[in-house]
Amino acid sequence: MATATAWRTGRATTLRTWHMTRRAYPWTYAVGTVLPAALTIALGYLGFHAIGGGETGADFAKGSGTSAYLAYLAVGATAFQFTVRLILWSAKALITEQRQGTLGALLIAPATRLPYLLGFTAFAVLSSIAEFLTLGVVIGALGISIPVASAPGAVAGALALIVAVFALSVGLGGLMIAAGEAHISQNTVFIVLGLLCGYTFPRDYLPGYVRWLAEAFPTTAAMDVLHGTLTGGHTLTDLAPRLAISLLLSAAYLVLGVRTLPYFERRAVERTY
Amino acid sequence: MPDTGIEVRDLHKEFPVRDRGLFGPRTTKTAVNGLDLDIPAGRITGLLGLNGAGKTTTIKILATLLRPTSGTVRVDDLDSVADARAVRRRINLIAGGERMVYTRMTGRENLWYFGQLYDVPKRELRARIDELLSLVGLTQAADTMVERYSRGMTQRLAIARGLINDPAYLLLDEPTLGLDAPIARDLRRVVARLAAEGTGVLLTSHYLAEVEELCAHVYVIADGRHLAAGSPAELKTATGSLGTVRVTVPQVPPAVAEVATRFGATRTPADGGGEILTLRSPDHMAGPLAAAIVGAGGAITALEIKEASLEDAILALTDGTVPGPVVLA
Repeated sequence: MATATAWRTGRATTLRTWHMTRRAYPWTYAVGTVLPAALTIALGYLGFHAIGGGETGADFAKGSGTSAYLAYLAVGATAFQFTVRLILWSAKALITEQRQGTLGALLIAPATRLPYLLGFTAFAVLSSIAEFLTLGVVIGALGISIPVASAPGAVAGALALIVAVFALSVGLGGLMIAAGEAHISQNTVFIVLGLLCGYTFPRDYLPGYVRWLAEAFPTTAAMDVLHGTLTGGHTLTDLAPRLAISLLLSAAYLVLGVRTLPYFERRAVERTY
Repeated sequence: MPDTGIEVRDLHKEFPVRDRGLFGPRTTKTAVNGLDLDIPAGRITGLLGLNGAGKTTTIKILATLLRPTSGTVRVDDLDSVADARAVRRRINLIAGGERMVYTRMTGRENLWYFGQLYDVPKRELRARIDELLSLVGLTQAADTMVERYSRGMTQRLAIARGLINDPAYLLLDEPTLGLDAPIARDLRRVVARLAAEGTGVLLTSHYLAEVEELCAHVYVIADGRHLAAGSPAELKTATGSLGTVRVTVPQVPPAVAEVATRFGATRTPADGGGEILTLRSPDHMAGPLAAAIVGAGGAITALEIKEASLEDAILALTDGTVPGPVVLA
């Protein structure tokens, strides 16, 4: 019964978001959103060839497990783009409701918040397909080929990344509505994740204490799995411990987020009493 | 589940407030201070008070949007904090000042979405949506995006949203705010019909004529405290609310002036010459005053009688003219 109710809520939220987004934005919006990732890859391509002479340093190969810098960059930039999209949809869902005057109507409904947020995540994943395809065209046009050391491992890594970002988004969404602010918090998270979690460069370049801090985020281990099973030459078995760490951390963030969300929701209502 | 109504007992709500900036000293503001309310099924209960009296906070607590600092709210014997999800299935809220619907969806899509959130059985949902759209007069605009609706249409859709789960108790916070008179009248009819069919309704409104027309029982609060309760008629009687008699006379000879003084009437110049004698009294004094004026040799060109209103009673209660609490029923 509860599962059926949750399914209805999640499915309805995905459909609702699909309709509203399709009406609010032209299809070119999906193309426009990939530009930051395309620019990152293109600039990396220019730097790699114009400054690096097409050669990868030994320290990069040691940290990343591959000398295919552009492939590593393409995977990381695409994953980071996806992370940003997922946070923008899932974490900002509640504050968007608040801004458009529908938060009260949502909060007094008996539907629980987790399937509602999963509905947004499902929409973000589905809508990202168009973005991935567009990025794939850019990556192909630059002549970058992505090696796949372990397809099951890459799928597991991608799923772990989705779970990790969703887990982070639940708590972040609560903080956003309690503070009534989204821009500073979301951009802080983007910067922290982008710098620490090894999306576009190996974490070995970071100071030691920052590397430890990176381990607090489930996205770090998820990216290790994704990079490792694509460009790093590893199998899923090799990276199973990292996958487990990512999932455990995600579970911890998720429990924390779900437990604290009702408190943040009440704070949001109290803030406007 | 027994329809025991909504029972509010010793309700308190305090909000933390920072006096100066982000790091200023933290104090608390009391919005609700020891309220007791009973909202039975099948009755429209009014909750009145001036701005800042605590009405909206109270309604938000009843709607489970806020938690009380202390005290209890029970809905059909369910605790609104411990059994919040079950309570949410039995109530709904319509707030006039808030949009509460999605503008980039059609009216029908909005009701479908909220029907999913309330887990309305699939086999009933389609029929209920059609019924509600008809009820609020939006059948023709059902498949139009809400962003193309007028304010009144949006408000009517919000009302339909508030009825999507067929609530046992409906909380109405200024539901006719911004509505045209005919639409507001239609809404009042809908609310009266719902109550007649067994829905318990709590209504706050600044349109006191609306409250007087609909509510069988009214609570008056100020500064979060209970001031009075009773039917509108009982409140007017208990507060000694004053009716007004205005007598226009072409001239005021000394004998008529003496009558005015004796009755305690005020004298003001009339626009077309002469004077207006105004008498505020809880009793029906129009006849005795008119007779006294004529008996004193005066003439009367106009006589206007205004009955005491609920507004007068509320003002008398909230400005301290009548010491509270006045509990009538």
